[in-house]
Amino acid sequence: MRDISFGQYYPSESVIHRMDPRAKIIFSLLYMIGMFFIVSYTMYLVTFIFLMTVILIAKIPPKIVFRSIKAIVFILIFTAIINLLFYNEGKVLVEWWKIRITDAGINFSVKMIFRLTMLVMGTSLLTYTTTPTALTDAIESLLKPLSYIKVPVHDIAIIMSIALRFIPGLIEETDKIMMAQKARGASIDTGNFIQKVKAMLPVLIPLFVSAFRRADELADALDARCYNATDHRTKMKVLKYSGKDLVGAIVVVALFVGILLDKYLIGGSGLWVGIDRYIADGIRNLVG
Amino acid sequence: MSIIKLSNVFYTYNKDTEEQVHALQGINLEIEEGSFVALVGHNGSGKSTLAKLLNGLLLPTSGSVNIYDMDTTNPSTIYEIRKNVGMVFQNPDNQMIASIVEDDIAFGPENLGVPREEIIERVDWALSKVGMLEHKKGTPFKMSGGQKQRLAIAGVLAIKPRVLVLDESTAMLDPQGRREVLSVVKQLNQDEKITIINITHYMDEALDADRLIVMNEGKIIDDDTPKNVFSRYAQLEAVKLATPPVTGLAIKLNQAGIPIDTNITTQSELVEKLCQLL
Ligand SMILES: Nc1ncnc2c1ncn2[C@@H]1O[C@H](COP(=O)(O)OP(=O)(O)OP(=O)(O)O)[C@@H](O)[C@H]1O
Ligand SMILES: [Mg+2]
Repeated sequence: MRDISFGQYYPSESVIHRMDPRAKIIFSLLYMIGMFFIVSYTMYLVTFIFLMTVILIAKIPPKIVFRSIKAIVFILIFTAIINLLFYNEGKVLVEWWKIRITDAGINFSVKMIFRLTMLVMGTSLLTYTTTPTALTDAIESLLKPLSYIKVPVHDIAIIMSIALRFIPGLIEETDKIMMAQKARGASIDTGNFIQKVKAMLPVLIPLFVSAFRRADELADALDARCYNATDHRTKMKVLKYSGKDLVGAIVVVALFVGILLDKYLIGGSGLWVGIDRYIADGIRNLVG
Repeated sequence: MSIIKLSNVFYTYNKDTEEQVHALQGINLEIEEGSFVALVGHNGSGKSTLAKLLNGLLLPTSGSVNIYDMDTTNPSTIYEIRKNVGMVFQNPDNQMIASIVEDDIAFGPENLGVPREEIIERVDWALSKVGMLEHKKGTPFKMSGGQKQRLAIAGVLAIKPRVLVLDESTAMLDPQGRREVLSVVKQLNQDEKITIINITHYMDEALDADRLIVMNEGKIIDDDTPKNVFSRYAQLEAVKLATPPVTGLAIKLNQAGIPIDTNITTQSELVEKLCQLL
């Protein structure tokens, strides 16, 4: 069994792993926004090369990253089909009742698949290269300005940290209770939906009882260790940006600017559009 | 000098309701700095309640609890008290707040606003005191109960307490884990002169203490050296506590007419006394 408190984290020694978690969060956000501005196949290709390069530098086996797409295959196919069926612009290729499949529709669906896939791959890179603990620290640090408008940033951070700490234990406990109930003859994973839900009750109730008991002791332990003793709390681990983060910023911003330029400046004319049209035509010929 | 002083302390849970429980009824107690005290008593005798009064997690219904002359009811010194009286609880899993060992140990000093460099020193110091320094960057996942409980002790040590209260901290551990924890606690008492209050159900742990306090139904019914307490066999029996097996044997021999001391606590002592009789 893996330590679930590590989440998806894939330990390896790489520059990407050692980057400041705050920087990585910001880059991921910028990347996500960028994904919504991509219009051309060329830019998808550029972004894909960018992604693969990062995966390579991070020393993560690409198949692990591709695995994260598995989880969204259903959503991908679903959105693609919906788009395909109800996209109305462009030259009609097939028409049946209210459904119209157009060349632009195909184009749009293909791009949608690219977009979602790369979105998931990019964001999961963040969780593959950053421990949940580092993410918590980073979120605390990024939210810090909010503490001036009385948002209890530090308490939120502690809550996240405790949640991370206790989730594995709770899962383990659920397993134990299920085992105990099964040993007494409870059938937890058989029967129809209603029966299953009913069978979960004898698991959930002891689980809640134990969770509250834990919470009680935890609260005492927090107080005993002087929680809230002062407003001038210090931190042992101080996050610090470094050269790596600057390089990362330059690359990510370059990609972002590239995407915007592609959409708003080059988008109307020139070679790139030519390539794009070529691919689009290819797809149309394939279908038609 | 006594570091802890309780005068005529009463504590009632759910006061003035139908479910009120008089958990403590007139406790008077002074504990010397640097001593090693064991506290025993049957389930529900009020041990945990007493422990929680010592660092102000609970405030007395009446009477007063003083730590170094600071009253626990005074809000302005409550953190000073908590800094001096560290507390380790029963379940090590419910005391760690961070997923990484060093982050968890740093939690206490961070709360107190200790400067960063000193926190790092304290974390190393506390971890080495409990023999867990090599696990500094690790996670508690898959650690043994004894290791986890030693981490819990380190987490408390990092706030540099003068008193360490252990509320059945060995109850959930296997014999190996218990030995680990106890030896750590003894070391802290000897090397750092930290006052230890060990609440336990294990009579052999009680034997290691300088002083043994027996509680029953919210009152202190015996308070003496462990040897003397155990020799008063009948009294322990009355509060459903068992003497250590060796002492029990000595008492039985005594009752059977063999003139042997009833305050024997170790096997070798018993052998020696029996040999003298031959
Ligand atoms: N939160 C609470 N609310 C109401 N009653 C309580 C509460 N905690 C403890 N009590 C009651 O107070 C009495 C003393 O409890 P306490 O936990 O101090 O005993 P203890 O000596 O620590 O027992 P144990 O050996 O089981 O840990 C018991 O009768 C208990 O039922
Ligand atoms: Mg108790």
